Amino acid sequence: MSENSFLSIRNLTKSFGEGETRQEVLRGLSFDVAKGEFCVLLGPSGSGKSTLLNIIGGIDSADGGEISIGGDLLEKMDEKTLTTYRRKHLGYVFQMYNLIGNLNVKENIEVGAYLSANPLDIDELLNTLGLWDHRYKLPNQLSGGQQQRVSIGRAIVKNPDLLLCDEPTGALDYKTSKEILELIEKVNRQYGNTVVMVTHNEAIRQMADHCVRLRDGMVRHNERNDHKIPAAELEW
Amino acid sequence: MSKERKNRKMPNPLRKRVFRELVGEWAKYLVIALFLIGTIGAVSGMYVANGSMLKAADESVEQYRLEDGHFELKEKADPELIRAVESGEKADLLSYYKKKAHDKVDEKLEMQVSKALPEAIQSAKDSSVYQEAYNKAREEAYEKADEEVEKKYAEAEEKYDLNDQDFQARPVTVYENFYKETTEVRSAEEKETDEDADSAGKIRVYPVRQEIDLACLMDGELPSSEKEIAIDRMHADNAGLKVGDCITVGGQEYTISGLVANVDYSTLFEKNTDMMFDSIGFDVGLLTQDGFDRLLVPVYYNYSFLYSAAAGDGSMERADGDIQEKNWSDAFLKALITQTLAADNEVKNYLPTYGNQAVQFTKNDIGSDKAMGGVLLYVLVVVLAFVFAITISNTIQKEASVIGTLRASGYTRRELLFHYMAAPVLVTFLSAAVGNLLGYTVFKNVVVSMYYNSYSLPVYVTVFSPEALIKTTVVPIVLMFFVNSLVIAKKLRCTPLQFLRHDLKATRRKKAMRLPHWSFLARFRLRVLFQNLPGYAVLFLGILFVMLLLAMAVGMPDTLAYYKEKAPDMMIAQYQTMLKSWKDDDGKIISTETEDAEKMGMKSLLRRAEAHDEDISVYGIEDGSRYVRLPELSEEEALVSSAYAAKYGVQKGDVITLDAQFEDTSYSFEVAGVQDYDAALAVFLPMSEFRNTFELEPDEFSGFLSNTEITDIPSKYITTVVTRKDITKMVDQLDHSMGSYMLYFQYVCIALSAVLIYLLTKLIIERNENSISMTKILGYRTGEIASIYLLSTTWVVVFSELVSAALGGAMMKGVWAIMMQGMDGWFSFVIRPEGYGKMLLFVFAGYLFVTLLDFRRIRGVPMEEALKNAE
Repeated sequence: MSENSFLSIRNLTKSFGEGETRQEVLRGLSFDVAKGEFCVLLGPSGSGKSTLLNIIGGIDSADGGEISIGGDLLEKMDEKTLTTYRRKHLGYVFQMYNLIGNLNVKENIEVGAYLSANPLDIDELLNTLGLWDHRYKLPNQLSGGQQQRVSIGRAIVKNPDLLLCDEPTGALDYKTSKEILELIEKVNRQYGNTVVMVTHNEAIRQMADHCVRLRDGMVRHNERNDHKIPAAELEW
Repeated sequence: MSKERKNRKMPNPLRKRVFRELVGEWAKYLVIALFLIGTIGAVSGMYVANGSMLKAADESVEQYRLEDGHFELKEKADPELIRAVESGEKADLLSYYKKKAHDKVDEKLEMQVSKALPEAIQSAKDSSVYQEAYNKAREEAYEKADEEVEKKYAEAEEKYDLNDQDFQARPVTVYENFYKETTEVRSAEEKETDEDADSAGKIRVYPVRQEIDLACLMDGELPSSEKEIAIDRMHADNAGLKVGDCITVGGQEYTISGLVANVDYSTLFEKNTDMMFDSIGFDVGLLTQDGFDRLLVPVYYNYSFLYSAAAGDGSMERADGDIQEKNWSDAFLKALITQTLAADNEVKNYLPTYGNQAVQFTKNDIGSDKAMGGVLLYVLVVVLAFVFAITISNTIQKEASVIGTLRASGYTRRELLFHYMAAPVLVTFLSAAVGNLLGYTVFKNVVVSMYYNSYSLPVYVTVFSPEALIKTTVVPIVLMFFVNSLVIAKKLRCTPLQFLRHDLKATRRKKAMRLPHWSFLARFRLRVLFQNLPGYAVLFLGILFVMLLLAMAVGMPDTLAYYKEKAPDMMIAQYQTMLKSWKDDDGKIISTETEDAEKMGMKSLLRRAEAHDEDISVYGIEDGSRYVRLPELSEEEALVSSAYAAKYGVQKGDVITLDAQFEDTSYSFEVAGVQDYDAALAVFLPMSEFRNTFELEPDEFSGFLSNTEITDIPSKYITTVVTRKDITKMVDQLDHSMGSYMLYFQYVCIALSAVLIYLLTKLIIERNENSISMTKILGYRTGEIASIYLLSTTWVVVFSELVSAALGGAMMKGVWAIMMQGMDGWFSFVIRPEGYGKMLLFVFAGYLFVTLLDFRRIRGVPMEEALKNAE
């Protein structure tokens, strides 16, 4: 574990199935993410990105190895402690926005705020997210990009130490995807949260501080990006 | 903008969903709420009305000086006997028996001696030799008589436990409470306008009671002249009588001066052994002493008593609890029997108040109503709780991604559990609140009017019932909470990842179940069936519950109609004329010219059982009787009536033992067969055997059986004539008390079944909206889609109906049989085939109506649905 590491992953293994159908998804991968860093997990389908993210998020467990976040070892936590851990430290953004249909935009964000003792100011956040004018709309009145903004708002309103994003632009068009990436970039900058984003979009690595490239459950490249370009300038 | 907001813990924003969910699904929640409100309201109203009326009844015990019991003597008691009875002490029966036996010996000896010795030798009687021989013979005879007496006494001692070491004298104060019984007919003027009025009812009249069993005046005034009468309020209601009307009682005209509720007749039971009270054909009236005296019918020497601290001091002492009541009554009965015997009088009837149906029936019935209402409410709440649970399970399935996200974000299972339980608990709570409000206002009055329609109760004041609040608010909420938490907690046990992947099945089937090579549509329907098994299980339970209720709602009128219709066939003869004595005032045997009349014997015996002692009529039947065909019976053999056999499960070859009521004799009969007689619990013996068994004289009999009314025997010799009316009076009363409610009940059942089916089919359709939309895109027509998604429900409904109708009918019959064991008499619960048809039709009609709604719902599923949820 490097000195300024916030998230440390060591020899992580995970497999699914048994006997002949057994499939090793993660094969002893290790890397570190520093505090406040924007880290991208890149790789093709089946490379183990989402599984890794789920294990980091404490909603799946590894077969071997260890993960420590801010010095806390995840595998030592029981289910109750894990829930508390997620509650206090994690924000989640999924490809599908998973918003609550009968709560409006503001209330959906409040769902995240409720979990925190010190949430961000919701009105300010709505402005940041560009959702102020839509705050009383229900999710089904919003476009996909707007819905994903809400889901980001829900994730960051509790000001989590770690924001996990699983293909947040996977269901969006080019233009909207860029808007969402700009937003995540802004959030990372503004609030200083550590961001780990899973994507299979090569271009996105250019906006990250750190890119971990996975293939067949192993780390193929673990590189720092000293020449970040803003999300707005990304092309793919 | 790293500004953080330091604020208090904010309320869970998910709570806002609850209200929106309620509004969004208002139709579903409204029907559930309406059912809960209706049931909770009715049950709450019942509890409040019961509580208030029971309180009034309890208070009336002191207020109206309710007797602790009464007894009837053959002859009017002299003051000495009253004093002896009031002391509560037993008489020395042994000495009494001995003295009686010795007197008899002396009389017999004297007679024998007088007969045996010629007059001339009479003088020799004075000689000492004769005296010695006489004394010796007398002593021997005394000894012999004493032996017999001691034997007899030993039997009595055993029977009545006369030598009870723990016997404690129970002093009482005795009050004369004489009455007369006669007929009551409405005045001629009104009779013309009412067809039913020509059939005379029976009335029991008392002089206005001043010291015991006082009346609560409900309307008008107590009688003040010999031509005025106050009658029972409820009977007046039922017979359409009011203050100022004229009635003919025992041939004398009286004007009704007032309507009363008598504390000792809260239910109008003519006889304590009657199966059901009779507020239509039986009345209790109060007269002035002069009014009473002008009635020329025999007086019943009835005495009421109150337990007192000291004999005859008038102070009241109440027994505390059932056991003490029984102990006191047993002790008093010993004193009463022995003292009466020692005074050469006879106890004709003894009835402690704790066993008096006219007083206790209301309380017991109100109690059982409450229990029944409570059980119905709880079953309904559990069924609705399962409906909620299934609905919520469905919602959880639909919202799996959201739940996964929330769980991944740190929401706990508990928070989500409470969130999903909020709607059912809130609906139950609101329904309970509204239901209770209605219970205290509208429903209470409905229940009260129901009770006033059946019972003669004093005026009441509404009292708050904490029991009602707990049982109709707390218990349903707890039940709702319990059932839902069980189902929802199980559902929420999945991991966040499982939710995110929509992988919520507890056991994952590796392969789809193989189905037979049926048509594609049939297999499709079968898949829908398997997919919705939990929902269908609840549907089955719901239909079973509805069928059980329907079995009662349909079976009760069926049963009453059946017995009304069959009553004439059920009689062994159309008239049973019971005589006071078999000889007239001149000692001649009473006879009749009525052609089809034949003599019979009748004696009432008791079948003792721990739960309930039951009155059994033992008949003596003449050889070659046209009414009861007895086979050749040997000594101690008898036939039992079919009602007896059904109630007590008696078969040929069994031995039954019956006891005399106030004597120490038991009679055993071997059952030689079953006589088809459903109207009463009876035992049939050949007349000769009847006389032997009850040690009657060779020509003695109790009355006549006939199909034509006997008109040539003066009424003063007749105690009662049992006709078809006596058999149907119970049926009439039940019909009157509950008949109309059963019809409403049937409507409620139809509505309930429709609601249940509606809620569950709605769920099935919602669950399959995506597939329905997809099939539409593929080109299926609405009719085809409906046949896939609705026909499997039709199978389940039809199957559930058939099984539940049979089960519901059987369960209702079982419940009925258990209920009848605690009552006098017997009649079995009947549901006619058309009754079952009705039950099936009712539920199916509800289903058809729902199917129309479902069809509309399927038609309304948009094709975009499938495209929208392309995830």
